[in-house]
Amino acid sequence: MAPLVEFVGVSRVYGQVVALDDIYLRLMPGELAFLLGPSGAGKTTLLRLINREIRPSDGEVWVDGLPCHALPATRVAELRRKIGVVFQDFKLLPRLTALENVAFALQVTDLRISDEEARERALDALDAVHLHHKADAYPLQLSGGQQQRVAIARAVVSQPSLLIADEPTGNLDQETAWQITDLLEQIANFGTTVLVATHNMEIVRRLQRRTITLVAGRLADDQPAARAGELVWLTS
Amino acid sequence: MRLLRVIARNASRYLFGSAVRNWLRNFGSTAPALGSMTLLLLLVALGGMAGLVARNAYTAEAKDASVLHIYLSDNATTDEVIALESRLRSQSDVRSVVYVSKEQALARAQHRPGLPDLANAAEENPFPASLDVQVASIDRVSAVDSTMRSQPGVDSSLPTSYDPGAYRRFQQVLFGAAVVGIAFLVLLTFIAVTVTANSIRAAVLARADEIGIMQLVGAPRWMVRGPFVIEGALTGVAAGFVAGVLAVVVSIVAIRAGATTFAQLAPGLTIQLALATALILVVVGPLLGSVSSLASLRRQMES
Repeated sequence: MAPLVEFVGVSRVYGQVVALDDIYLRLMPGELAFLLGPSGAGKTTLLRLINREIRPSDGEVWVDGLPCHALPATRVAELRRKIGVVFQDFKLLPRLTALENVAFALQVTDLRISDEEARERALDALDAVHLHHKADAYPLQLSGGQQQRVAIARAVVSQPSLLIADEPTGNLDQETAWQITDLLEQIANFGTTVLVATHNMEIVRRLQRRTITLVAGRLADDQPAARAGELVWLTS
Repeated sequence: MRLLRVIARNASRYLFGSAVRNWLRNFGSTAPALGSMTLLLLLVALGGMAGLVARNAYTAEAKDASVLHIYLSDNATTDEVIALESRLRSQSDVRSVVYVSKEQALARAQHRPGLPDLANAAEENPFPASLDVQVASIDRVSAVDSTMRSQPGVDSSLPTSYDPGAYRRFQQVLFGAAVVGIAFLVLLTFIAVTVTANSIRAAVLARADEIGIMQLVGAPRWMVRGPFVIEGALTGVAAGFVAGVLAVVVSIVAIRAGATTFAQLAPGLTIQLALATALILVVVGPLLGSVSSLASLRRQMES
């Protein structure tokens, strides 16, 4: 089976600072993996390379058959429609309701989607994150956990093949963090590849999934799901 | 058909609706761009009309410059006038000779700025009869002039109206005005584009979150940039409209204030010309606004 994400000798340099150094990495379809490492290890840089927010200084980044390292600006939207993104700070539009936030992501990427279809699909996505009853609430009327669930609904509503999450539980209490993690696991179980950058070791220990550890821009450790619980000391 | 309706509705909402809503909401920050663009378009319009008028005047001046007026003495006999005409017609540089009587000279003067008062103030007709000579080339006027000014029947005090430097001076003034005008408009265009680009930049920054989300979810580039280009075009439409109205008003005021003399000073300036200029401004305005927006977006949304 071909990998969904592949890094081949990838380096990324900011001025004199080496953020990533000679990274080789593969993520298979339907895989859930945690990206670990201390602050400044290069986790966010790695996610931004996948999403083609930046280009590698050296090496190749492939996502679902698209060469991110050589992708022209005119084709970036095509790549991003294959990727759902979740952030620590949710990034919801405050003037739109939960339903509108999710529908907005659908309709601005495809003008052929009617209001009815967008509403239906957005409600399905909100239902999947157990927020159907909050569809008409504005972000400021929702708790942090609920806002993050709306963000996840927005990220998966167009059924991307890859979901990347950058510290999705960073602003949440432990109980809510569990709920969000459960959601991410469910999404992976439905066949979407999920890559989660996190500092939350409780979650990593509990889920026992693959862990990829970066230290000072280098791939320090890459443990399969079965052994993930043994080596999390690297970042603790 | 239904699909087309859906696409039209979504495009209308996310492109035009969004652009109009934000343009109205951010009108305060757009005002400097609107002002500078209006000023630019107005000055271009006035400059354009002045240029057209100058061209008409230039054409008329070029034609007049090759006409030599030979003034006849009040005592000139018919034989002397016939002899002068014959002598002129025998020269290869002369295209035509027209006799202008004192009465015709008076009638002509009454259509010239400032001369009607002089004509009415005098008890007798002060304007002499003349022979209007159309010379083949401006360069040959002085040669014809030198052969005729001392002939019998020619007014000895003011033999001809030929001014060898007038045409050249007119050319120089026009050239200088054109250079200064074009330089000024280029500078003003730069200012207008820069101010508009900055106002679009402010609009982009104000909506950075929305743009960021659109880019992250994979909205096409034209979908992300489109509303800003339309916002720039809206500013251009408003600027073009205001400048067009002002250009028409200025033209009407000038034409009416100048009355009869203005037709001589500004040949070709009419209400129709002013309206056509206004129409051009309404078309050029949105183009200028869109181009300014695109210039700003290119710098800010490279991804």
